[in-house]
Amino acid sequence: MDGIELLRAERLSKSFSGFKALREVSFGLRERDILGIIGPNGAGKTTLLECLVGLLPANSGEVLWKNQPLPNSGRKDAMFYLPEDIVPYREQLTFRLTGFFRDTYGLSHERERDVLVRLQLEKVLTRRVGELSRGYRRRVLLALALLAPKPLLLLDEPFDGLDPRQTVEVAALLRDESAAGRTLILSIHQLADAARICGRFLLLVEGKVVGCGTMEELQRHAGVDAENLEAIFFALT
Amino acid sequence: MQELRNVFSGRAFWTTMIALTLLTGYSFIQAVDLYSQASKSAVGYPELARGMVPLEGIFVPTLGAFYLAATLLLPFVAIRSIALDKETGALKLLLQMPLTPAWLVTTKVAAIAIAIVALFLAALSFIPIWLHLGGHVHTPELLNLLTGHTLYALDIAGVAFLAATLSDSLSTAAIFALAFTLGFWVMDFAATASGGLLHRVSFYSLTAALHQFEQGLFNLSAVLAMTLGAIGLFALTATWLPTGIATREKLLVSLAIILFVSLGALGASQARVFIDVTENRRNSFNPADEAALRGMQSPLFVWIYLSPEDSRLKEMEANVLGKLRRTVPRLEIRYEDTTGRGLFSSVPDDRYGLIIYEYNGKQAESRSNSAREILPLLHELSGTSVTPAKEPDYRGYPLIADASGYVVWFYGILPAFILFSWWGLRRVGTTKTTPA
Repeated sequence: MDGIELLRAERLSKSFSGFKALREVSFGLRERDILGIIGPNGAGKTTLLECLVGLLPANSGEVLWKNQPLPNSGRKDAMFYLPEDIVPYREQLTFRLTGFFRDTYGLSHERERDVLVRLQLEKVLTRRVGELSRGYRRRVLLALALLAPKPLLLLDEPFDGLDPRQTVEVAALLRDESAAGRTLILSIHQLADAARICGRFLLLVEGKVVGCGTMEELQRHAGVDAENLEAIFFALT
Repeated sequence: MQELRNVFSGRAFWTTMIALTLLTGYSFIQAVDLYSQASKSAVGYPELARGMVPLEGIFVPTLGAFYLAATLLLPFVAIRSIALDKETGALKLLLQMPLTPAWLVTTKVAAIAIAIVALFLAALSFIPIWLHLGGHVHTPELLNLLTGHTLYALDIAGVAFLAATLSDSLSTAAIFALAFTLGFWVMDFAATASGGLLHRVSFYSLTAALHQFEQGLFNLSAVLAMTLGAIGLFALTATWLPTGIATREKLLVSLAIILFVSLGALGASQARVFIDVTENRRNSFNPADEAALRGMQSPLFVWIYLSPEDSRLKEMEANVLGKLRRTVPRLEIRYEDTTGRGLFSSVPDDRYGLIIYEYNGKQAESRSNSAREILPLLHELSGTSVTPAKEPDYRGYPLIADASGYVVWFYGILPAFILFSWWGLRRVGTTKTTPA
């Protein structure tokens, strides 16, 4: 891998009551990378994200940040993880939730407004979070992630609940974030969505890494000619 | 602010508040009715009038409604504050923000403390009515009682927080918290019917601690122990709230907290500061008797041959033994095994009902449970002569009044006001201009 490594996971393993959810997962990530974690349901994608961000304690393995060990306690200074399918503070009005993030991170109203406008959330700010449609709720959560001033964002299924137009718009927004200096790890089960936005891919099956790299690297590794992530994924699994 | 919104946006708090209002109204109107009936006999008989004490006739039974709400309903308000964060995923976001778990729990405690104050405001609306009816309030008694209820509610909130943190769902947490709080009821009930360890352990239950405040006694040990208990429970919550820390590490920290709280409670139990805040000094002997008892430097042993359910023992606990514990420096009370030798038992025992006192090798026996007979015995054992000091005359506060007209307030106006406030709070902000 070329360039300076921002993050490296070294042999991360995690078990739940004897079930091995992650088996010695290792991979690296450079600044401004958009890494897609691809895998079927139950592959360990969410577990990997939660172990990386420190919400779950790994049984073994290490996370390095710019080649230095990054303990669990320091992870929240470096990264922010947006879980899938959450409805935080559902009784509260949307602008109170984004305002809470703005105030906690000490951001300006302009920064908040910029994120809200880019995600087209102006219309729903005075509605309760729990009353929003799935697509709007997903965009509110994305706004929270973008408001978190962290160099690395980990997003679990960021396109879930979005219609095709919204998916394209959010993908463009995430590419802009990457171009502006953020590094992204996206857990995506829709291979077409992943191919559209990610520069590198981590293929995960039953908690094991079966492939990691750019499309070309994976093609070579899988020994297939097709420039099709689906074909590569099936060849490797 | 976010936590406060979380507590006040939920139905649990408002439902608790309305239930408390109704319970308070019922308790108050019943208490005034009973007090009035008793007062009818007391008017014209000074001896009976002395027994008309608002603390035990009005305040304790009326605030019994708050006790019920704190025991059975407050846990749901407190549990919701944490369980909802877990269920909705908000906790995963909060744990990544620049907030420590201790700070997160502190903000939740502050929100619950404000909720408790709001509940008090609803419950205490009976005070102006009582004054309006011509009733008497002795402020130190009332403040002491409120202190006890506040500490009790904070302890219950601590139990609920910990239950919510350790449980996977709101319902499991509720069962866990209620099992704990109702466990005290079961323990107190069982202790009244059995002696030994259970009887001794029941002295340290939350309800027993609250009972001291209800009797008009400020006991620094109880205040410190209840405060430490609440702090310990909140600290355990902060320890178990983060999801990214290994269980072994959490267990080690928990052990350290439990050790710290236990040592603190042990130290607190040595704080022998008791203040009788009652107007009629019901928790104190005559000052001259107390001075003589405080001078007993050798150990005083008391053997009691009464079964725990015997009403004579209960009376003696309240009128003599409790006061002796607070005044005699080295007192050891032994409850002898009387299993199967009660009033209605088939096993006769000549010693049943006997109380033996031993001081400096000298013994005295009595079957009385009255301070009037026991104190001279003790003074004789310690070789002191006591002349009772003159005490201010307490005449009691008999009052014949009818509070039934206030049902409109408790069952109509106040619940309507609470519902209106709830609706109003839900409306706040929905018409605000968007910040974007």
